[in-house]
Amino acid sequence: MDESSYWNLPSSHLLGSVPAVVNEESEASYGRRGGGVRGYQTLGPPTEGFEQQSQNNWKGVFSISSYTQYFDVDTDVVVNRLISSFYPAGGDFFNKIGANPDLYGLIWITTTLVFMLAAFGNCATYLIQKRTDRTTTWSFDVGYVNAAACGIYGYSLVVPVAFYFLLRYLGSNASLIRFWCMWGYSLSIFIPTAFLLLIPVEILRWIIILVAGTASSCFVTLNLTSYIGGSNDLRMMMIAAFLLQMALAIFIKVWFFP
Amino acid sequence: MSNSHSDTIPLHPSNSQSDIDEIRSLIDDSVHSGPAVVLPARHPASTPPPSSSHFISSNIPPPPPVSSSSSLQKLQSVPAAPPPPPPVGNSSSIVANGFGPPPNTLTEPVLDTVKRDLWRIVSNLKLVVFPNPFREDPGKALRDWDLWGPFFFIVFLGVALSWSASVKKSQVFAVAFALLAAGAVILTLNVLLLGGHIIFFQSLSLLGYCLFPLDVGALICMLKDNVVAKVIIVCLALAWSSWAAYPFMSSAVNPNRKALALYPVLLMYLSVGFLIIAID
Repeated sequence: MDESSYWNLPSSHLLGSVPAVVNEESEASYGRRGGGVRGYQTLGPPTEGFEQQSQNNWKGVFSISSYTQYFDVDTDVVVNRLISSFYPAGGDFFNKIGANPDLYGLIWITTTLVFMLAAFGNCATYLIQKRTDRTTTWSFDVGYVNAAACGIYGYSLVVPVAFYFLLRYLGSNASLIRFWCMWGYSLSIFIPTAFLLLIPVEILRWIIILVAGTASSCFVTLNLTSYIGGSNDLRMMMIAAFLLQMALAIFIKVWFFP
Repeated sequence: MSNSHSDTIPLHPSNSQSDIDEIRSLIDDSVHSGPAVVLPARHPASTPPPSSSHFISSNIPPPPPVSSSSSLQKLQSVPAAPPPPPPVGNSSSIVANGFGPPPNTLTEPVLDTVKRDLWRIVSNLKLVVFPNPFREDPGKALRDWDLWGPFFFIVFLGVALSWSASVKKSQVFAVAFALLAAGAVILTLNVLLLGGHIIFFQSLSLLGYCLFPLDVGALICMLKDNVVAKVIIVCLALAWSSWAAYPFMSSAVNPNRKALALYPVLLMYLSVGFLIIAID
């Protein structure tokens, strides 16, 4: 394998790129569509309105370079967004994201949460059973991993999509990537919560999960409100978002930390 | 015969037997040296269709010095195209001499192939995992990557975990295997998406080799059953794995994003370590 020649070539612009013919097409239509088909080059985030139209050319779906724009964040940016998601006050998350929403937070926060729920769920179940029945032995239930994965991934992928389509149907301007980003970061508060739920006192667990669930739901609701701008129709959606997040919190408590 | 191809001068008289031998050896050349050597088919009658299945089994002698007028042109093309460089990293059983094509690896004994692959796994392990003061730049390490090593390590880890599980053994194996295999792919994609420079399969290979310390830890945990000892062993194995994977991953991305690329690696090894401790 002669890898050294690959190593020295400057190839970041070639990662997953499609041949020049397609680029010329996009260049020709540049004036018309205002840079919509820019998925082949990492020139920065596309403009808001053209994100959805640019899927005419589906070849961009299979090349990595059309997704690097969603991962264009540094460590300090991610940490900043994480910290801001812990304080539900102030609905300025979407301003903070600005033109640079990232999917890194969504993917790795959900994955960490799945792992935490599976691991600490087993520990906590063991601890609670030990309190009531001294003779229980530790057993690792692998089904927790499946349940955690299905629950968390399903929630964090489907709920933003549902809201996106609903808002689009009602005529409001919505961006799926920003919704995914926001919902992903809203789950980050459950990670230390999972650790705290190890405490085998039932009443304390309920208090912890309710506090965390409320904080997370407030975060989601306030940001959604400030993004869309209040109006009567959409109040139902805010309440729905709040309730869904609370439902997730209750589900975490009931299934993994019974 | 010589006048039909007037630009060549026949050196030796020919007979049909050496023609066939020559053509066979030249076609073997083209089979082994790939598209670099093009045989001009000047004399249609004497060029049999290149069905390589007939000629694979021959041991290739160097092209005989006897030439005819028609095959002279073919011979001229052979020295013009230099023999291809041998595949990198072959052990001594494949000797790349400068004259003639390298020996055919399809016809060597299976034991040779197995020994060569095992030797490659061991040498890759030494490069990647073991502390080595002469470790060359880890970004360029593992030129000779392979996927056998990672495959063995992942399967071994799955089997070890499944063995020590008391219930739901097949589900444990499935979770372990899926976690490791999908995890390696996702980690590589993560680095690529963050704008890093790595080669996909080389990274898969490297992440697989870095599982070796966890394999050793899982083996020891299978034999000893004390929880505290398990925790200590797994922590040591985890530290070793992360130490092995760290330079490669961190050199692949922009320094501002180093932590973003390393955190998922840590997460994956941590979850595997937890599985090792927890499964009993």
